[in-house]
Amino acid sequence: MLQVLQRNRKVKITHLIYKANLSNNSIKPYVEDLLKKNLIEQFFDEEQRYFRITTKGNDFLSEYSKIKIFSESYGL
Amino acid sequence: MIIDDKYMALTLGFGNFYGIDSLVEFLIILVSFFISYYSYKIYKIIDEKNYKFLSLGFLLIGVSFIFKILSNLTIMYRVAIERANFIYVIWTQFQYAEMIQFFSFIFFKTFHLIGFLILFLIVSKTDKKEKVLLFLYLSIIVVLFSIYFNFVFHMTLIFLIMSLTMHFYENYKKIKSKNSLLVFTAFLIMLLSHVLFVISDFNPLFYLVGEMGLLVGFLCLLTNQIYLRNKQKNGNKKNQVRDNKRYAAGFAKKQKS
Repeated sequence: MLQVLQRNRKVKITHLIYKANLSNNSIKPYVEDLLKKNLIEQFFDEEQRYFRITTKGNDFLSEYSKIKIFSESYGL
Repeated sequence: MIIDDKYMALTLGFGNFYGIDSLVEFLIILVSFFISYYSYKIYKIIDEKNYKFLSLGFLLIGVSFIFKILSNLTIMYRVAIERANFIYVIWTQFQYAEMIQFFSFIFFKTFHLIGFLILFLIVSKTDKKEKVLLFLYLSIIVVLFSIYFNFVFHMTLIFLIMSLTMHFYENYKKIKSKNSLLVFTAFLIMLLSHVLFVISDFNPLFYLVGEMGLLVGFLCLLTNQIYLRNKQKNGNKKNQVRDNKRYAAGFAKKQKS
């Protein structure tokens, strides 16, 4: 989800549902968790609810990619 | 350090080859602690045991080299005895210095072996308690044997590092990345270094080349860490540019409305 939000400037919940391959109800806890952790934020544009990644979310993703490479280099 | 006088002198040696080996080991300690710290940081973020043990493995390897440096230190004092027209010079080691050397060497071997053993257990994905205990028991036996037979210590390490190198080679074949190549090269060089340590009894120069090899191996691991660090910096720059663009787009929209 974070990667989808990183690639796009603003994303509707329907797009997230499609990309995460989850139902409307099952995506809710994940979105709430990300919002609670300040990794993503929601905003309204022309009465439509959108999501976007925060700087903290970007930092997390950047650290995550580093962890992935580190883990791959040691074959963990 | 020399306290000189006509009849007595105190000398502190930093190791073989004018202390070059101790300097090399000091650099290895820094690299080991750095990898250990980074691995622990990952463990704190994603809470996965493998990283905790990887951190512990490198920490023990680093600590083992502290004991190696201690065992390299030799404190000698010279006593000159004058009899008639002759001066007899006797170099003697302090009794406690000998003990420090002896125990430091045992601690070096113990920590070094356990450090590499932990790395081996992680990459071979051995997490069953009975297997871990068996390996630990065998390591203790090896340490006991290696107190008097250096050969046993190096041979055990050769087998451990060989398994690690094979794992990292397989990993490199699968991933085909620069980072995995660096890790594989690092362990391959470490393996060759230990082979040189085994034959260092024939020529002390092999010991120095082996130490240098170890340093090169650990520097490869450090290079791997530096690549990761640079990747993060580049990532942050990209994010910063994108954030600025986003802010500018939002600002332009507000201006229009």
